[in-house]
Amino acid sequence: MTAQRLLLFSVARELFALNLQEVCEVMEPQQCYPVAGAPPHYLGLINFHGNLTALVDLAGYLRLKSRPLPGKLLVIDTRLAHLALKVDAVGSILDASSITGASSHDDPLTEALLETPQGNVRLLRLETLLSGLEQELQECAPNNAKPGGT
Amino acid sequence: MDMSQYKALFLSESREYLRTIAEQVVALEQSPGERSAVDALFRGAHSLKGMAASMEYGDVVVVAHSMEDLMARVRDGAVAFDAGVADLLLEGVDLIDVLLKDVEQERPSALPTDDYAQRLAIYTPAPPKEKRGARSEPSPPAPDLPPPPAAEAERAKEPAGEAGGTVRVKTELLDHLINLTGELVTNKQRLLNIAGELASPALNDAISETAKLLRSLHDEVMKVRLMPFEAISDRFQRSVRSVAKKSGKEIHFELTGREIGLDRGMLEQLVDPLNHILRNAVDHGIEESGERERAGKPVRGTVRLAVSRDRDRIQITVRDDGRGMEPATMIAAAIAKGILTPEEGELLSPRQALMLSCIPGFSTAKEVTDISGRGVGMDAVNAAIQKLGGTLGIESEPGVGTTITLRLPLTIAIIHALVVQVGQVKAAIPVNAVQRTVELSRRQIETMGKRQIFQLDDEAIPLLSLNRVLGLPLGRFPDGILPLFVTEARGRRVGIVVDRLLGQHELFVKQLGRPLAKMAGVAGGATLGDGEIVAILDLAGLL
Repeated sequence: MTAQRLLLFSVARELFALNLQEVCEVMEPQQCYPVAGAPPHYLGLINFHGNLTALVDLAGYLRLKSRPLPGKLLVIDTRLAHLALKVDAVGSILDASSITGASSHDDPLTEALLETPQGNVRLLRLETLLSGLEQELQECAPNNAKPGGT
Repeated sequence: MDMSQYKALFLSESREYLRTIAEQVVALEQSPGERSAVDALFRGAHSLKGMAASMEYGDVVVVAHSMEDLMARVRDGAVAFDAGVADLLLEGVDLIDVLLKDVEQERPSALPTDDYAQRLAIYTPAPPKEKRGARSEPSPPAPDLPPPPAAEAERAKEPAGEAGGTVRVKTELLDHLINLTGELVTNKQRLLNIAGELASPALNDAISETAKLLRSLHDEVMKVRLMPFEAISDRFQRSVRSVAKKSGKEIHFELTGREIGLDRGMLEQLVDPLNHILRNAVDHGIEESGERERAGKPVRGTVRLAVSRDRDRIQITVRDDGRGMEPATMIAAAIAKGILTPEEGELLSPRQALMLSCIPGFSTAKEVTDISGRGVGMDAVNAAIQKLGGTLGIESEPGVGTTITLRLPLTIAIIHALVVQVGQVKAAIPVNAVQRTVELSRRQIETMGKRQIFQLDDEAIPLLSLNRVLGLPLGRFPDGILPLFVTEARGRRVGIVVDRLLGQHELFVKQLGRPLAKMAGVAGGATLGDGEIVAILDLAGLL
């Protein structure tokens, strides 16, 4: 169920994890450019080694309370997506052997609730996150263009 | 001996042979007497068998050998080339295609090749049907038909090898080359910005020279990436054949311009739209044979797919000699569906009326068939073509036929785009979607019902706000001048008001990947000279 090594991070005072293999880089916040018509948690586009990458505020997407921190950017493996997640802070890398317990969770985005020495951690399913973001974009069709130039 | 290093070469050459065989089978069905095509088919199967044997892929050998044997019987006159032979050979092509996928994935195959071989070995043609009447046509080629394409195809289809000054290059390398060229174009814009600030004539000269060299490099790289249209055309021949068979119609299919080169990135994206247009032409454009006879037309309908190139544009036309479309019927249907008001219908030109078929959900066909999936596609076709930076046009004459014309740029990687400001956001619109830009005084705006319009070339053009479409705060325009660009949406010209027109830029288009690639109305992204990233809007998906 769980990967060998997980990357721990925090969003809105909650601890989350992603499979370390799904993350290719942790970055400092950088200049991003807004995308017209995207939902509000899309902070914009960043240039990640030439890839135009969507920057999503994870707290906003999860409807958690965003904190006014500069935060960090988790860039997802570019073979999987062109996506970076803005999180509040990035913690340690957790070896699967140090997980002391795991339970399932109703939320399809959460693969498991893990008990770890750092506390309870929600392990996220990246594929579900990506599909959810895509579905949301497909559903938020452009506004009905009404006449009027002013 | 370890043959694995030759596997990629074997797969690519085998697929080229399969494509040739499939094309020639369909061509031979149209002109069964073409001796050179029979020979070419025989040789194709023989070469495929030889290559597979040297690689020790026994299943492929069995299938190719049976096809070769059957073609030998055709060549020797023991069996006539009929629809049964064509079906068997095409089945063999499909079978080998699956076997090649197994080889590629290095998985064992469980396909029943012996059964196929046995059916070919015992194949005898069905006795000829009795003629149904004097009007039945043994061979009704139209007077202006070009010579059968089979022999020509054979000449063009010898798989390219290292001989004759050509080399095989991995497609990833070609993609990398265009990416590097694109990054250089972006960097040139950056240099231009810096030069603008420094006002140095020497720097300007150097950038101007670099720009010329870049243009040459871009042109050459694009040439390398071009692939002949025939790389995808066999699917169309088979698709037309299959729809004709299902709908019980006799169709003569012609393809010209198979040698025309298109960007490989674009070719794959043309398959579905063209397939849809062709299937529609056969299923709905061409009449039933009885109806054609009554109209004094040949029983056999003709569908022509033609590809041509005019400098840096590609033109693809699909022309049928079917029933055509009636603009008045299209307008009446649109009014009945609430898409148009009767007043709006009166304003439409015949060309605009035909373009109504590209509006989602619009359809005038009386019945749905499972062949072309009627009515659920021309809007998607139009959107796909616009996404490629192209345009779709429809011409039709009732009783004579319909022509659908696609005009496409040679490349989709580097485009010219109009950059606009809307609210705090910049966005780019490919210039081929922009008919013209206008700076409109408020006094020129009129109100028609609930709409605001302005007059351009004696045409009332409705105004839309791009800010509103994108959910952004509306512009204020304190000087009373509204910048806008004119484009075509749903068959009509519209004026799209923006906050500012920022000028034309040469952009290297990048795909956005997951998840933003799913966003309606966005075709990709690009970096401007100052490093700013803009989304490239797909107006067809947005409006």
